[in-house]
Amino acid sequence: MSTEPLLQKPELVLALSQLDRCRLCMAETLLEAAKALLQPWAAESTLPEPNRMDVPIPAADLLAAVKALHDARWGYLSAITGLDLGPEAGAMEALYHFCMGAAVVTLRVRLPRDEASVPSVCGLIPSASFFERELSEMFGVTVTDTPDPSRLFLPDDWPDGVYPLRKDFVMSPTGGGNGAQAE
Amino acid sequence: MPTTEPREKFIVPIGPQHPALKEPGHFEFTVDGEIVTGATARLGYVHRGIEKGTEDRSWVQNLYLLERICGICSHSHALAYALGVEKLAGVEAPPRAQAIRVLVAELERIHSHLLWLGVAAHEAGFDTLFMYSWRDRETVMDLLENLTGNRVNYSANVLGGVKFDVSVEQADAIRRGLDFLEERTQHYLTVVTTDSMFLRRTRGIATMSKQQAEALGVIGPTARASDVPRDVRVESPYAAYTTFPVEAVLATAGDLEARFLVRVKELFESYRVIREILDRMPAGDLTARMPRRVKEGETVSRIEAPRGELFYFIKSGGGDRPERVKARTPSMFNFASVLTLAVGHQLADIPMIMAGIDPCFSCNDRLVVVNRIGHEADVWTWEKLRQYGIEYYRR
Repeated sequence: MSTEPLLQKPELVLALSQLDRCRLCMAETLLEAAKALLQPWAAESTLPEPNRMDVPIPAADLLAAVKALHDARWGYLSAITGLDLGPEAGAMEALYHFCMGAAVVTLRVRLPRDEASVPSVCGLIPSASFFERELSEMFGVTVTDTPDPSRLFLPDDWPDGVYPLRKDFVMSPTGGGNGAQAE
Repeated sequence: MPTTEPREKFIVPIGPQHPALKEPGHFEFTVDGEIVTGATARLGYVHRGIEKGTEDRSWVQNLYLLERICGICSHSHALAYALGVEKLAGVEAPPRAQAIRVLVAELERIHSHLLWLGVAAHEAGFDTLFMYSWRDRETVMDLLENLTGNRVNYSANVLGGVKFDVSVEQADAIRRGLDFLEERTQHYLTVVTTDSMFLRRTRGIATMSKQQAEALGVIGPTARASDVPRDVRVESPYAAYTTFPVEAVLATAGDLEARFLVRVKELFESYRVIREILDRMPAGDLTARMPRRVKEGETVSRIEAPRGELFYFIKSGGGDRPERVKARTPSMFNFASVLTLAVGHQLADIPMIMAGIDPCFSCNDRLVVVNRIGHEADVWTWEKLRQYGIEYYRR
């Protein structure tokens, strides 16, 4: 590698730090592009960190928003995070994280806690199947039209209707759950 | 196997248990004669509820909990978490700590890739390569132990920095170890590209085009072997990768041979960057002061683990413990690709296709061949399937 001796020169260390800034500008440009693609929903978008953009999306528009990013080949779906805001808030969120370079766009779908349902994105992104199976068994979010709705992680004898990553599910000291939601 | 009788559909369940290595998983392959026509997966046999567990533990306790998600890439988990929590708290670890973090991360990559090389060679029936690569892997395990006190779960990180320094003697020991490993790796590169028996098991097998790789969403070395330049160290450098940049190692063929090439060549890149860090280690403190409570907020922390992008989402409510920690491991993506790639291949190729993504696959010790129509089950072990693959290619 030729970089080694070069890096010891101060002007090149400076150049490197500019490269860092450049990467950040690139992330900003990428986020701008994503914002343009997500124009119908972009009004409410926020930038929680310089390389990240959050865009709230109604569940009914999720497929359209994912399609906009997917068709433009903007990054890839890196993860789907379920987020329970607790029984008091009565809401949950499903976060669809798309990554491109250093930029991360998160589509935030807010869902009522008692009737959480999102459409499957597997028609566009087949690799989302595992994420959707995890989301539905851990949070009790119904994923309509997902190709394989069976359990991925939870054991076969896990009780129906008990979702361990919801906030009102409490682990017992022995490691099992209390079945708080099972009734 | 040619047969004149009408072919029946078989489901071949593989897994889930194997006590020897990491992560059990259960796969069902539907076969039509020799050819795989469908595949499904069932994971979770080692799901320990760690994500839930983080919500009951302090920020510091979680560092040790999350490190135990994986014994192979424990440092990757701790690093992704520590970087994320530091970002939320507005703390930056000192440059020397960041350099040591990268040093350990690359040593971990070396041990992980050598481990994989041995396991993959074993699946191909090439046990000489397996024995040699694991013998050589001991070199890097010793270096890690010498540095951190542990062979696995090194606990190199603390929130705000690292736990130990690298002395001049330790640096010299690492350099000597790397010289030895580099020579050995050169030999392995020759073996995996020229051994004709081995190439029969890898060349043109489980080929994934660039388009396929992008559609399947594979990451890490599996993606790079299909010319998809996904490497978080390059795309979004973290810790000290800005000061000590690495180059993404790419191959274009997209078959198993390419996946061997990429991983073996990545070893050279790791040796190079470790030497560079040792030669130009920044001076200064090892830790920055970390508050007990972390400011309210959310962050995403991504790092390149040996198997690909490791993704952490961390949410703080402003307290002394997280509201939510989500870890998406690289195997989540790469397992899914096996299900697609296996279709159309011989059953005999399955062990190598599984090995190709470097999954936690050796769990699949039990294999049941079920005749769907006759309902008669015959129990195969993973060993028997492996042997079947080897015998098949001897014919």
